[in-house]
Amino acid sequence: MAETLITKPSPLPATTPPHVARRRRRKGGLVNLLYMPALLLFAVFTVYPLINGVGLSFTNWDGYSPEKAMVGLANYTRLFSDDTFRMVLTNTVVYGLGSTLFQQVFGLGLAMALDRPLRGRNAARAVIYLPVLVSPVIMGTMYYLLFGYNNGAFNDVVTALGMDRVAWLSNSTAAIAIIVAVNTLQFVGISMIIYLAGLQSIPSEYYEASMLDGARGWKQFTNITLPLLQPAFATSIVLNLIGGLKLFDVIKVMTGGGPGYSTNSVSTLIGVVYFDNQSAGYASAMGVVLFLMIVLFTLVLNSLLNRHRLEA
Amino acid sequence: MKSGFTLLAAGVVISLSLAGCGASGDAAGSSGDGSIEVQTGLAVDSKLLSTLKEVTNSFQQANPTVKINLVPNSTTYEKDMKVRLASGNVPDIWWTHGWSRDRYSKFLLPLQNEAWATNFNPALSDAMKDSTGAFYAMPIDTDIAGIIYNKDVLDKAGVSVGTIKTWGDFETAAAAVKAHGVTPITVSGKANGPAGNLTDWISPGAYTKDELAQLKNGTFVGDKYKTVLDLVAKWRDQGYFNPDYASAATTDMDQALAQGQAAFIFSQNNRINNALQYNPKANLGFMPIPSLTSGPSYLVGGEMNAYGISKTSAHTEDAKKYLAYLAEPANESKLAQSAGSAPGLTNATANMGAVQASYDQWMTQAKTTLVPYFDRVYLPNGMWNTMVTTTDSIITKQSSVDAALGQVESDFKSLYGQGK
Repeated sequence: MAETLITKPSPLPATTPPHVARRRRRKGGLVNLLYMPALLLFAVFTVYPLINGVGLSFTNWDGYSPEKAMVGLANYTRLFSDDTFRMVLTNTVVYGLGSTLFQQVFGLGLAMALDRPLRGRNAARAVIYLPVLVSPVIMGTMYYLLFGYNNGAFNDVVTALGMDRVAWLSNSTAAIAIIVAVNTLQFVGISMIIYLAGLQSIPSEYYEASMLDGARGWKQFTNITLPLLQPAFATSIVLNLIGGLKLFDVIKVMTGGGPGYSTNSVSTLIGVVYFDNQSAGYASAMGVVLFLMIVLFTLVLNSLLNRHRLEA
Repeated sequence: MKSGFTLLAAGVVISLSLAGCGASGDAAGSSGDGSIEVQTGLAVDSKLLSTLKEVTNSFQQANPTVKINLVPNSTTYEKDMKVRLASGNVPDIWWTHGWSRDRYSKFLLPLQNEAWATNFNPALSDAMKDSTGAFYAMPIDTDIAGIIYNKDVLDKAGVSVGTIKTWGDFETAAAAVKAHGVTPITVSGKANGPAGNLTDWISPGAYTKDELAQLKNGTFVGDKYKTVLDLVAKWRDQGYFNPDYASAATTDMDQALAQGQAAFIFSQNNRINNALQYNPKANLGFMPIPSLTSGPSYLVGGEMNAYGISKTSAHTEDAKKYLAYLAEPANESKLAQSAGSAPGLTNATANMGAVQASYDQWMTQAKTTLVPYFDRVYLPNGMWNTMVTTTDSIITKQSSVDAALGQVESDFKSLYGQGK
């Protein structure tokens, strides 16, 4: 077998002329300078608080005193035996997974419906997307006024029908379901837009070719639409999951975390423990756990969705 | 060399930014114009704030070189203060809302050597003085609270407050009120406080002196706290609380009391003035709190509207002069009267308006014992929220009494340990 000599083309000449190298360095320096403000803001408002928060989680700081002492892993071991934290962690997972699930189902359904050439579809898209632009505090307040016991619109209907008023938000299971529904309703527009973009990027030739092979409706959906929407799934699911796990405003406005601690998420509980219980160290440990939980969920989801995408 | 320019530029930007972030200076909290910042802790439309403004104006006329900047309350006052203390951006003078000793004393100047201190109301000593006799705020008023009632509602139900000596008597009264179709006790579950008042009011009467001393020394006496929670659970089961508890705001409490839709409220007396805004003809008063043991009925109270001076203020002398002016008998009387409370200094007098008759009956004539707020003296700092949420979880049946008690015990131990 004759030996073949293959030489890889060099990306750069062995020696770059000095003026070219100088120009490249200057250009590189300018690019670095342009992203510096963003990097600085990220460092000051994200990286520094994160590092500081991790440091605080090993202390017994009350959140305002000048002095604090190191307590090692005591705050983390306390988390394992804290029933309230366990309950709130479960709530957080319910908020995260529940909102994500419903937003995908309804978001995809709406995207498919509004991807068709219907009259008024642009108006419908705008109406469904509008709640995304509303502050969650306003959204929560609007729904608090609907579900309120005394002056709530739903109870007005209930009493008009001759029934007793219902304390919708006094039952923690009902309150959690209502919060998930409100969050879903507010952010389903994001999923819809992502899926619409995904649907419009699928070439129509695939559907035409499949029709020649006799595929219709469900078969086309499972064999063409779903596999080719994998990138859109990855984006939408990860965004919604992170938002759901960090849920704060709607809970604060609608139930304040009550009754008791029963509708808190980890985010709202952190505020309560930090400021009201004056256990900033313990609250920081909760924050670290929430951060790790979000990272873990995101990594696992990304890995699963990427694997599906490769298989597809 | 490659990124030397970039690094230098980044270094300059970061240094300038951090220098800006950390510029707190020596005159912490003082306004940029050199005035004395007073965090009043008072609502913009409150009567006390308008009187404080009036008194402050006359102070400034007498002392034209001193500028006072009165800052009204925010809805997140306590949180804001904690953030400001943590960041070193401390106001010159601030409202201590019952916490001048236990939360703020390390940031405040001791004031027991001021000229007006000789008139310090001894009823406030337990709540405001430390073991050395030092105190850290000038008290505008002396907070005295019991169980607020609507006399017209009780009359219709055939109840006389004078006959309520025990919790058994109270329950008989509540049952009579309920039989007349009126809510016996109205509480706001939405606000972070009224539920906690229930346990805070009942608890002092559940413990002996020795047991209170144990609590103070960090030993949680759980069986007695359980009797308090049991009482709340019993009232819940008997339907004594308002059905809209979970969504009711404090304004709903005021309205219900004023309009004869509720008989009792466990709260400070400012609720009476608030309720009268809804119905000025409402016949309201307050009564002592029965004991859970065989002890006498009592009232709870202590520090409410009081102002302390920051140790790090650049204007400590002017700030002391200002507090001394507020402490002058005529000014102190005006301020206490606006607050609707007894004065915090003994050389002042105040007409407490709608509260006066009850005050005369129970404090002046009956000499009812005044005990300090339970959570402030016998529980570690930070327990108030636990009291609120655990009582709330019992009223709403989210927790059993044992589960709520376990939460209180767990938080007591960890917060006591944290404060050590």
